[in-house]
Amino acid sequence: MLSTSFKTEAEAFRVPPTWIPIKPTLHAYIYMWTKKNFGIYFLNSTIISLATAMLSTFFGALAGYGFSRFMFKGRKFLIGFFLATQMLPGVLLVGPYFKLLSKFGLYDTRTGLIIAFLTICLPFSTWMMKGFIDRVPDALDQAALVDGCSRLGVFFRVILPISAPGMVATIIFAFLLAWGDLLWVICLTSTESMVTVTLGIARTVGEFRIIWPMLMSGALMGGMPAIILYLLLQRLLVQGLTAGAVKE
Amino acid sequence: MWTFFVLPGTILLVLVLGFPAFQSILYSIYPEGGGSSYNLNNYSILFSDSVFRQVFGNTVLFVILSVASHLLLGLGVALVLNMEIFAKPLFRLIALLPWVVPDVVVGIIWRWMFDPVYGSFNDLLIKAGLISTHIQWLSNPKLALASVIFVNLWRGFPFVMLILLAGLQSISTVLYEAAAIDGASRWQLFSRITLPGLKKMLVVALALDIVWEVRRFGLIQTMTQGGPGNITEVLSTYIYKQYFQFFRFEYASAVAVVMTAALLMVSLPYIWMISQEE
Repeated sequence: MLSTSFKTEAEAFRVPPTWIPIKPTLHAYIYMWTKKNFGIYFLNSTIISLATAMLSTFFGALAGYGFSRFMFKGRKFLIGFFLATQMLPGVLLVGPYFKLLSKFGLYDTRTGLIIAFLTICLPFSTWMMKGFIDRVPDALDQAALVDGCSRLGVFFRVILPISAPGMVATIIFAFLLAWGDLLWVICLTSTESMVTVTLGIARTVGEFRIIWPMLMSGALMGGMPAIILYLLLQRLLVQGLTAGAVKE
Repeated sequence: MWTFFVLPGTILLVLVLGFPAFQSILYSIYPEGGGSSYNLNNYSILFSDSVFRQVFGNTVLFVILSVASHLLLGLGVALVLNMEIFAKPLFRLIALLPWVVPDVVVGIIWRWMFDPVYGSFNDLLIKAGLISTHIQWLSNPKLALASVIFVNLWRGFPFVMLILLAGLQSISTVLYEAAAIDGASRWQLFSRITLPGLKKMLVVALALDIVWEVRRFGLIQTMTQGGPGNITEVLSTYIYKQYFQFFRFEYASAVAVVMTAALLMVSLPYIWMISQEE
């Protein structure tokens, strides 16, 4: 793939395929950015994924703290509800979303997609944040409460700073979930200016003539943010993924 | 006090998720092409539809084979990575990569590699002397579903591996040492200590993986779009087509409701186990 993205169109269609380009060229990359609106796709994906990740992590942290620290009636039921929402398939919701968003004028907008992505990210973020907050000893809360701090103060001044690495991991995980989605974007957008990276890549499949070097460079660039984020924060992400599932 | 923390998220979930899900159920009992009263016609159409049954069968096959291979490969790699091997962090780093990349990207790359004439997959096999003719991996009806599952195997096993690896690392080494002193064989170590120790992690990995594979959309949409014919059509691509290509909203909703019911049934033991433990 890496090799194809540096090929000229003619070379990509050689039989047998060349494994290393004879004349490496950046043509495909330049083409994607200048002729194919790839810049717009990238911007859309970034804005939407980032907003979704921030929102879902904030609400997830609140709920995660609630589940982690308080015993109340109906707690098990609510946890079950959060878990069950994780299981719902997107295809159950895209139909009503299509109609609802159209009604409120949010069809084919970034806001509409951000709302839609919350359905994927919020349950996950809650669960992940709960896992991280569970690791913070309750004694810290109690100490701060004794010192006259309110519950909210505890949350914002003690819990959030301590679990900052966990929040970063959760934000990134939610970001990747939103970044990688195709189903919602394909169902809830219609104009070129709202296309995201994944849709930009997937749409070319139906085209009559696929220009593979361009497509491979697009795929590579579409996967890049995920790879970079993962490489940078590998340890945190792995911790986060297992935090919800594994208990020490 | 707990309400202040838990309620915002809960209300948000009910609004963005619960309400549309409920609407979908309403659509599904609404007669196609208009009508006055609610009925279950869409469901009877659905269950007598041979395409639906084929798609349902495809999905079951796709999910079972994907998840089973994820478990086997994931467990194998996790066992290897749990040993003291050379450059372990590097291997772990690489092993997880296919999972973080969007499945659309994975799908499109493999579509290119699977290209019968220009793709590198056939070229590699021919050079290795394994095949002599160019194979149509994605357009041959006998091979298409297998090819898609093969790609999904490679793409999806890292998550299972990750969860199982975390499970392996939580098993105390003292247990192994004690058993070794008592003269246990390697197989006994594995079946009496490792597997029981992994039980919970296996349930978690299995449940989440099943749910994700049932919902998988981008991979199939980019590789085959359900074709040739309906050979690789799964529920999610089928429902998408019913909604946005044939505009059969009521019918599509009915299929989606059936799919959701099946998913919830499969994942109920997991949800029950986790929420009781909390």
